[in-house]
Amino acid sequence: MSTITLRRLVTLSFALCYVLIGLPLWYKLTTIYRAPLPAEYIESLHTKIHEDIHLTIPVYVQSNLYQFPDVHDAIQAQADELLKSVNEEQRRVQWSLQVLPYVEGKIDAKDDYVVTLVLDESMGLTIPQFGKETIVFFNDESVLDNDLPFFAAQALIEHTFKFEWENFSNAPQKSAKTDSTFKNMAVSYDPNIHISISLLTGDSSPVAWDIDTALKEYLTPIRELLSTFVNFTVDTGIEYHNDLNLNSLVNKSSISWNDLSHTLDLSELSSVNHYQEQNSINLAIVFPSAETSSLEFANATEDNTNWKSFLVPQWGVVVINKDPLPVNAYVTHDYLASVISTFANDIFKLLGLSQSEDDLTSPLIKIDSFKRKIIIDNLEKSITTLSSLVNMTNHLQQMSIPKEVLEDVNNALKIRLQIVDLLNNPELGGDETWNEALRLSNKLVKVCERAFFHKEMVQQTFFPQEHKVAVYLPLLGPITVVTFTAFFKSLKEVLTKSKKCATKDDGKDDTTKNEELKAE
Amino acid sequence: MKLHSWISVLLLVYKVTAELEADVFPVDNEVDSIQQEVIQETRKNGTDESSSVPPSSELLSLEDPVQYNFQENLNLTPLPNNFLLASFQFYMQSETFGVNRNEHESNVYSHHTVFPKPVGPIMSQTNTRQLHLRFTHGLWDSQEWGQLPHSGLKSGGNGVELWAVIEGPSKEKAMQSWITLANSLSGLFCASINFIDSSKTTFPVSSFLPTEDDAIPLFNENSSLYLIRAALANEPICTENLTPFVKLLPTRGKSGISSLLDGHKIFDSNWHSLSIDVNTICEDNTGECHYSMEEFVETVVNVPNSLARADRPIPKPLGGDELRCDTNKPHDAFQCFPLPGSREVDFNISKLFGKKICGSSLLGKTSSKICAHVPSNWNVMVQVGDLLFTTDDNCFNVNSNEPHDVHFETSDSGNVLISKETPLHVSRALTGYGQDRGGLRSVFRNPSNQPVELVYFESLPWFMRVYLSSLALESDDSDLTLDSVVKSTFYSPARDRERPTHLERKLVIPPNSTLALSFQFDKSLLKYAEYPPDANHGFEIEAAVATITSPERYEARSSSLLLYLSTPDFSMPYNVIILTSTVMGLAFGTLFNLISKQLLTLEEADRILASTSPKAKLLRLKGKIIGLLKRNNTKPAKIAKSE
Repeated sequence: MSTITLRRLVTLSFALCYVLIGLPLWYKLTTIYRAPLPAEYIESLHTKIHEDIHLTIPVYVQSNLYQFPDVHDAIQAQADELLKSVNEEQRRVQWSLQVLPYVEGKIDAKDDYVVTLVLDESMGLTIPQFGKETIVFFNDESVLDNDLPFFAAQALIEHTFKFEWENFSNAPQKSAKTDSTFKNMAVSYDPNIHISISLLTGDSSPVAWDIDTALKEYLTPIRELLSTFVNFTVDTGIEYHNDLNLNSLVNKSSISWNDLSHTLDLSELSSVNHYQEQNSINLAIVFPSAETSSLEFANATEDNTNWKSFLVPQWGVVVINKDPLPVNAYVTHDYLASVISTFANDIFKLLGLSQSEDDLTSPLIKIDSFKRKIIIDNLEKSITTLSSLVNMTNHLQQMSIPKEVLEDVNNALKIRLQIVDLLNNPELGGDETWNEALRLSNKLVKVCERAFFHKEMVQQTFFPQEHKVAVYLPLLGPITVVTFTAFFKSLKEVLTKSKKCATKDDGKDDTTKNEELKAE
Repeated sequence: MKLHSWISVLLLVYKVTAELEADVFPVDNEVDSIQQEVIQETRKNGTDESSSVPPSSELLSLEDPVQYNFQENLNLTPLPNNFLLASFQFYMQSETFGVNRNEHESNVYSHHTVFPKPVGPIMSQTNTRQLHLRFTHGLWDSQEWGQLPHSGLKSGGNGVELWAVIEGPSKEKAMQSWITLANSLSGLFCASINFIDSSKTTFPVSSFLPTEDDAIPLFNENSSLYLIRAALANEPICTENLTPFVKLLPTRGKSGISSLLDGHKIFDSNWHSLSIDVNTICEDNTGECHYSMEEFVETVVNVPNSLARADRPIPKPLGGDELRCDTNKPHDAFQCFPLPGSREVDFNISKLFGKKICGSSLLGKTSSKICAHVPSNWNVMVQVGDLLFTTDDNCFNVNSNEPHDVHFETSDSGNVLISKETPLHVSRALTGYGQDRGGLRSVFRNPSNQPVELVYFESLPWFMRVYLSSLALESDDSDLTLDSVVKSTFYSPARDRERPTHLERKLVIPPNSTLALSFQFDKSLLKYAEYPPDANHGFEIEAAVATITSPERYEARSSSLLLYLSTPDFSMPYNVIILTSTVMGLAFGTLFNLISKQLLTLEEADRILASTSPKAKLLRLKGKIIGLLKRNNTKPAKIAKSE
């Protein structure tokens, strides 16, 4: 082998090394680890949200006088028909009732939904405050007309499960006006919420209050009632020299919400974030300072009370008193009882449980429905979070996706399937199931948020592509130029040489042929 | 027809049930949602029985006002050279709480009255039983002013100092709580306490020990108590730290002596210190506990300077007639030899602090108390409205809601109460030069006639690599040896980026003597990203703490130090990358050419050059051009011929 061929081989092998080993290695070693997220699955979940969910709520029918062997089937048919009547596009989540016959001893009216059919003079229904029973009154006429199943179905869907009917089926609501008002009222749901109760006075004179007994009497039952889905921690405090800037409203006899929201200075109460819980509900009982004298607007109502309470969206309640506290005041149990009981009522609104005063017909049914809503909300929230995560990583190609994020995402999807299984299973449906699903859905939200807010991703400690180029160019530039100019040069040489050879060979062929001919 | 009757029946039934259960679920039947947007008005039940009772029964006025555990004192002490020490002291106590209380139980409520709301939850979440926080800045001139207030127990070194007794099942758990505690306090006091991590944290052995009187309760029998401490020497103390301090008080700076606390005046001083101490105190038999908190704000102001600042906020030279010239020397409109500062003093504290005391704090058992500690040649009066009062012991109770002021006057301000002399003077300095090693020299001076026993605590950052073997003693007394001074040493060596060097030495300083202890250290290089944004400023080394145990309990701190480490040029890494890459590229190019290019003899090269060199090409080009020109010359002749 001549040296020139050897040298050409060397040039070729350098170029090959560069392309086949160097480039892939460089690429491999400088790429950022991006865990493969199940993006398509998440996107499909996001576009068709809740499509794989079908809530089934078991309802048991009993009749105290007549025996209707097939009434549950009839009610089931009517109920299904009623639910189907809603426009499919408007529907948020699929849900249905499973109407079953009542079995003595197995079913408890406290834990399960029971429809009791009672013979009466006219048609009607009642939902007792405690328990989950729906009592449907019927008369003989309705039995003859076969109206009873329809009544029962309507009673169930439009009254007992009104909350689901409005929230899941998006049925047209009777009070659409109030809805927009209350939509922004509720604090965002969290399994742990802090309640902060403050007595504020504009003066410095010491105040005592009988808060503990009032709370134990009026707030403890609420805490117990709601304990299945929200845990409260409560603290109380007295603040002096703080009247929330009310002194600027002294001479107004009536005020609009606008005046008040512009005047009230809640910053000092909101800024102190000393509790562990993420969300809080506040109650501020404000007394103006003695210098301010009485606030005329605070007793504009027809009763003789001297205070007025205002709901502040996503914050809590402000109770404004007309008169300043007397010197060395003692706020009695009587006063606090009325304030705290009103506040207890407002807690339902601040949680999003009720939207208007008449909503609380039967709190147990309401709370159960609310749990279902939270589960669905949580599922929606977590899927949105995951979808945002996928979107973000798609947009920022230079962002690394750590393995933990992938694990969290997979874990979240697994939990989601568990919840969906729980919700879809018609065999289940008792309190236990809903509580378990709620617990899982709260966990799901946490896992999703942990995935989204992973430290490595949030910190944005990733280098842009330009940095990579800037750092490597001083080394790669000269090497590339040297290797490839030599490579292309020798390639050119080889090509021209082979061309020359070819033409020479042609000429040679002719001459040899001629010589051969001559020889012949 | 069906639906109508339906609803009416429903409403009727509902109303009956609602009334039955009204006391548990107060429902408002008359809903009128007139106000629709931001604030929704709700109304109390119209037919509530409480409304029939006159409102006066709801809000009573007590004959004896309720008395909370809150107390506030202001101590004013003139110091030599026209300085004034103002010491604001607040004491408060929380409501009692059970030891193993679960906040989530539906019957458990935590109540706060005068004790600040945020402190309790922070203490309980982190299982902290004792909390001590110090914000100190400035120089206390112990030569002139004598002992630090409260024997130095309430002031820290320059910057922030934090130590706490934390209960935990293990040291790791306690450490976790400690980090949480630091982060919470950081948010509460708007300070960068969150920069406390394991590399700044020590577990003191014989310093900072709680006194025997405070029996620290243990809430869980299986866990133990850990004393943890850290300091941040480079923390500037500013108004944003004072505001949260004042917010912790029930009077919120609006009444009582706290109304004097104004950041602009408090920090316009030679030395100031903010301190908080929280203790958990439990009853032995009942299992009920409460927190007690001491909050001190102390400041030393130079009276003439502060008064001048109050008169002329923008500094301007005095007019000629206001100058105090020495009349024994020549003086006219153009020259003036100033007299030494006047010894006649006459001022109101409202001028020093910018405000008057806005009445008393009425919350405590005792009213706000102001005391001036002066010798008999001073005249101290309290001014209420236009009236001036004096008392025998120069202590005044602020009783009314009128603005109060304190008036000081004397003919000889040099005559002040002689404060006790410091039992020991400690100073510390860096020695040596260069960027790779240095030394640390601590000087102890015992002015008294008694030997002083102390624990000398030093916490040094890991990037100071200490050579304990180089410890040397310098003293005038040649008989003194290291062993006779250093009785015992506790040493926990540093671990890079994990924990600091922790040194605690028990020392005995002989009477009337001065001695110095010094040792050497190496400065280590930090990683590129570990340098702070202002790397050339240097690194602050926290103060050393001398806890004197005998003859009296006293705490003295040295000043903090500024250590220079070798600081890189921060564009260097990129330069290095480019330079090395270029060199490597050059080397590669040469090598590559050597092995890929053909070697020729000179003759061969000449032959090739003869055909391919630029010169040959030029010659060829010349030939072509000449050929073209010749062709052009011949052509017209041919045309002419044909014509």
